[in-house]
Amino acid sequence: MELAKNLQTTINRSHGKTDLYVDLAQSISGVLLIGFLWMHMLFVATVVVSPELFNTLSEGLDRYYLAQVGIPATILLIIIHIFLALRRAPVRLRDMRITYRMAKMMNHYDTWVWVGQVVSALFVGVMASIHLWIILGAWPLRAATSAVRVASSGPADITWGAFTFPFFIVFYVIFLIAGEYHGGFGLYRILVKWGWWERHTMGWVLKGITVIIVGLGFAALYTFTQIAANLPAGGVIH
Amino acid sequence: MGRKLTISCFRFNPNIPGDKPRMQDYELEEYEGMTLFVALNDIREKLDPTLMFDFVCRAAICGSCAMLIHGRPRLACKTMTRTLPSKFTVMPLPVFKLIGDLSVDTGTWFRDLQVRAEAWIHTNKKFDFNALEVRMENETAEKIYDPEQCIECGCCVANCITANIRPDFIGSTGINRVYRFLIDPRDERSDADYYDVIGNEDGTFGCVGLMACDDMCPKEIPLQENLAYVRRKMAAAGLKLKFQGVKIS
Repeated sequence: MELAKNLQTTINRSHGKTDLYVDLAQSISGVLLIGFLWMHMLFVATVVVSPELFNTLSEGLDRYYLAQVGIPATILLIIIHIFLALRRAPVRLRDMRITYRMAKMMNHYDTWVWVGQVVSALFVGVMASIHLWIILGAWPLRAATSAVRVASSGPADITWGAFTFPFFIVFYVIFLIAGEYHGGFGLYRILVKWGWWERHTMGWVLKGITVIIVGLGFAALYTFTQIAANLPAGGVIH
Repeated sequence: MGRKLTISCFRFNPNIPGDKPRMQDYELEEYEGMTLFVALNDIREKLDPTLMFDFVCRAAICGSCAMLIHGRPRLACKTMTRTLPSKFTVMPLPVFKLIGDLSVDTGTWFRDLQVRAEAWIHTNKKFDFNALEVRMENETAEKIYDPEQCIECGCCVANCITANIRPDFIGSTGINRVYRFLIDPRDERSDADYYDVIGNEDGTFGCVGLMACDDMCPKEIPLQENLAYVRRKMAAAGLKLKFQGVKIS
């Protein structure tokens, strides 16, 4: 490390605000996404109360164009967040090795949590794309369509030995845990970096919220499988 | 009879041509009140005079004996061997230049930090050595004492993943150092001046918030608070926000 006065540092210094904007944008996009995620899970969990409430809410989102605006906005936000947060992640092989070795050697809780965030980010990125692709292909969203989706198993193709596997319930369980883990600890990290609060207390509060949301998610997934089981054969959709 | 300790030390002298990095075990008997600093001196006295490590004060003031003890950066003089298992490893701090075995050069790194962070009181007042010193409020003095306790041991640099993978990152100690001047009323720099120094990815906005520094600082400096304060302050300075009546600190 030395006082680097080369072309790059000299010309980049004149754009001194970029680093601030980028850092702020990363934190803000993270806060917005966790806000979206928690709201999303609360909305989905209305199916536990009653499928009618879920449908009313879903229809409302469509009628007032909240879904039509909200979904593209969320996709854009995810892309921005990936782009900005990626610069924090160890991307070179050398950096990955250093990160893994240091985390393992120190066995420091917060450092391990962050490694988990990098890994869960990969899961969330891929699975959110799949999730979006599927829901947009079966629009509009209603309790019955969601139930059929969640409960659908493998193709049961005879050439595959009529093999079935509950792909989607497994998919959603992993997606739920990875998403809430990434978001919950992400918010923790944003508050640690910017906030006034003692982080151990704050950590427990956020862990509590995350456990509740994951619980709601599981309850909603279970309800969907029950709805699917009670649908007439062939899955009549209202 | 104390426990039998097995201390597995990193050995490598870059100045000896052909020397290879390796771990070497030393066995010695533990006695009451033994610190790792004492144990290492025992090794050097009785077992191996070639073992290199640094120490000066043996009282957690000089910051020389920081090393990776049982995986974590700590001060050898402040680490009681009874808090460690009977077999553990001792390695030099990462990030810093290796001098040999457990000894690293933190001086060059910190010298560069002082220059980059402009870590001195900037004032236009002419010093009058006949006049009485201007008094400082006790509250302010205590506030400054907090970050001022940094002994530049380098533990927070060694345990920071960002500092490990980004050589230009100023580290927790660097941001804490700027915080020290930021809250000092004698320093006449404006927030914009400080922004020029650390309002970038190598400074305050490079911190990922892994908080290993906060958990492992041997002087227990409240780094989370100090770092977040600097981040907020620098963001406000960069955005030219004025928080009238809103407490940033």
